[in-house]
Amino acid sequence: MIRRLANLFRVEGFKWIAPAMIVLVALSVYPLLYSVKVSLTSASGAFTLAHFRRLLDDRILFAAAWQTLLFTVAALAIEFALGLGLALLVDSLGKARGFFRAGLLAPMLLPPVVAAVAWRLIYNPQFGALNGTLRLLGFDTTRLTWTSGQSSALFSVILVDIWEWTPFLFLLLSAGLQAIPVEPVEAARIDGAGAWRIFCDVTLPLLKPTILLALLLRGMDLVRIFDQIFILTQGGPGTATETLSLYIYRTAFRFSNFGYAAAMSFVLLAVATFASRRLIRAMGPRRA
Amino acid sequence: MKTVLKYIGAVIALIVALAPIYWLVTISLKREIDQFAFPPRWIAFTPVLTHYREAFSSGSFSVYFTNSVILATVSTFAALTLGVPAAYALSRFTWPGDAREEIAYWILSTRLLPPIVTIVPLFLMLREAHLLNSLAGLALVYTAFNLPFVVWMMRGFFDEVPKEIEEAAMLDGESRGGALLRVVLPLVKPGLAATAVFCLIVAWNEFLFALILTQTEAAMTLPVGIASRVTQYEIKWGAMSAAGVVAMLPVLIFASAAQKYLVRGLSLGAVKG
Repeated sequence: MIRRLANLFRVEGFKWIAPAMIVLVALSVYPLLYSVKVSLTSASGAFTLAHFRRLLDDRILFAAAWQTLLFTVAALAIEFALGLGLALLVDSLGKARGFFRAGLLAPMLLPPVVAAVAWRLIYNPQFGALNGTLRLLGFDTTRLTWTSGQSSALFSVILVDIWEWTPFLFLLLSAGLQAIPVEPVEAARIDGAGAWRIFCDVTLPLLKPTILLALLLRGMDLVRIFDQIFILTQGGPGTATETLSLYIYRTAFRFSNFGYAAAMSFVLLAVATFASRRLIRAMGPRRA
Repeated sequence: MKTVLKYIGAVIALIVALAPIYWLVTISLKREIDQFAFPPRWIAFTPVLTHYREAFSSGSFSVYFTNSVILATVSTFAALTLGVPAAYALSRFTWPGDAREEIAYWILSTRLLPPIVTIVPLFLMLREAHLLNSLAGLALVYTAFNLPFVVWMMRGFFDEVPKEIEEAAMLDGESRGGALLRVVLPLVKPGLAATAVFCLIVAWNEFLFALILTQTEAAMTLPVGIASRVTQYEIKWGAMSAAGVVAMLPVLIFASAAQKYLVRGLSLGAVKG
């Protein structure tokens, strides 16, 4: 290890990457190590394992982890299905393709805070555009409370994520579809395969690397979801939409319990590291 | 028939995607009496600009806007200055063993850290350094955040330039650095511009770091300023929507300028679409 590092110092390129590496060590690696220390320090400054012990019987943490999982799986599944459907649909439109694509991408480019503000205007039970339009169409909206209802809040927040991030899967899958060679599809058609057979047996396998990459990239962002929920519900009502990131935020910056927040962030880090390992492996062969 | 159905499907998707954005724009242009009228006024209302005036001439949104502009520009410039040479070195120089890939993936893995994991230690570190509530502190954090992205994107663009081009320039007496500046960079100019645009967008849109590291009026960025209004007791929807529209316009303009590289930028350079 040390000899390899010493070898690295002698390489011509080392001084070219050194400034970047110093900045990353100072602002990514060092904070991570610092966080270990914080998580092992009690409020009075002594060494303690209490923060990690508390992880094991914190009911709110379990609820937040469960909601994060639910949020991630539900949003990812629906965004993938919709994104793939839209990619296939728009891909078959010919000349109008570029126009539709540009319009469909808008939601994911907005600052997440602005997107969430727009949805607060839409979801408001009394004066929001959604209930207003539904009432106009003759529906009874008295029970549709969206983000302020205990049982509908998580669903409503997922709906916003689907609106905002389906475009991301749509974009990557469209690019993947366009990179598929035409010959295998043509060959299958000549052999008499129907459209569904071609899709399942030819298109999907060829698209698999892109699908994997898109799911991993989106999944990693979903696990750490913060911005939209913070604006839409602040984790409420109660803790109905509290995710891991929000709970860590509250613990550190509302209750000033930095030690416990740091300990919890290692739980999130473990989940994210597992996903990012897979991601890095998936990205690997593409560069060769 | 089938084509007609397809277009109907695509148009519905487009309406769903754009309606919330459109609604935000209309709220920013409506008098209060029209904002929350029933039935909702999707089309027929008298547009006024009072909310924009309220938000930006008298209100503090102009401060947030300036802060966001400064932060995005400075951190993008810094990330490029540090990242471009690193990317070039990873693309061109010979490295012992697997060092090239190992360094590249280590750099990437720092980008994949969830922000909430580093935010607690960064907050404590910046507090000790008296850099809380300062643009300088946040600029540092954004630089580190965008740096891995710059390295990965630019490395991909450098890989596409044939080595022989700068070798020829170096035979003509250029130094390494001179060849990079005068020969290679002009060739990857579109890629460099796209990379800069993505850094600008990320810094402009970023919320969590800014929320925690800047809590005074003077240091807030546009997203934090908007968020602080949403969580207030009495919300001024008009001024806030106006600020939201102003916050999203630059992003949409920049993104359409870099549309060709959108796939590559959003997949950390992994998909060369």
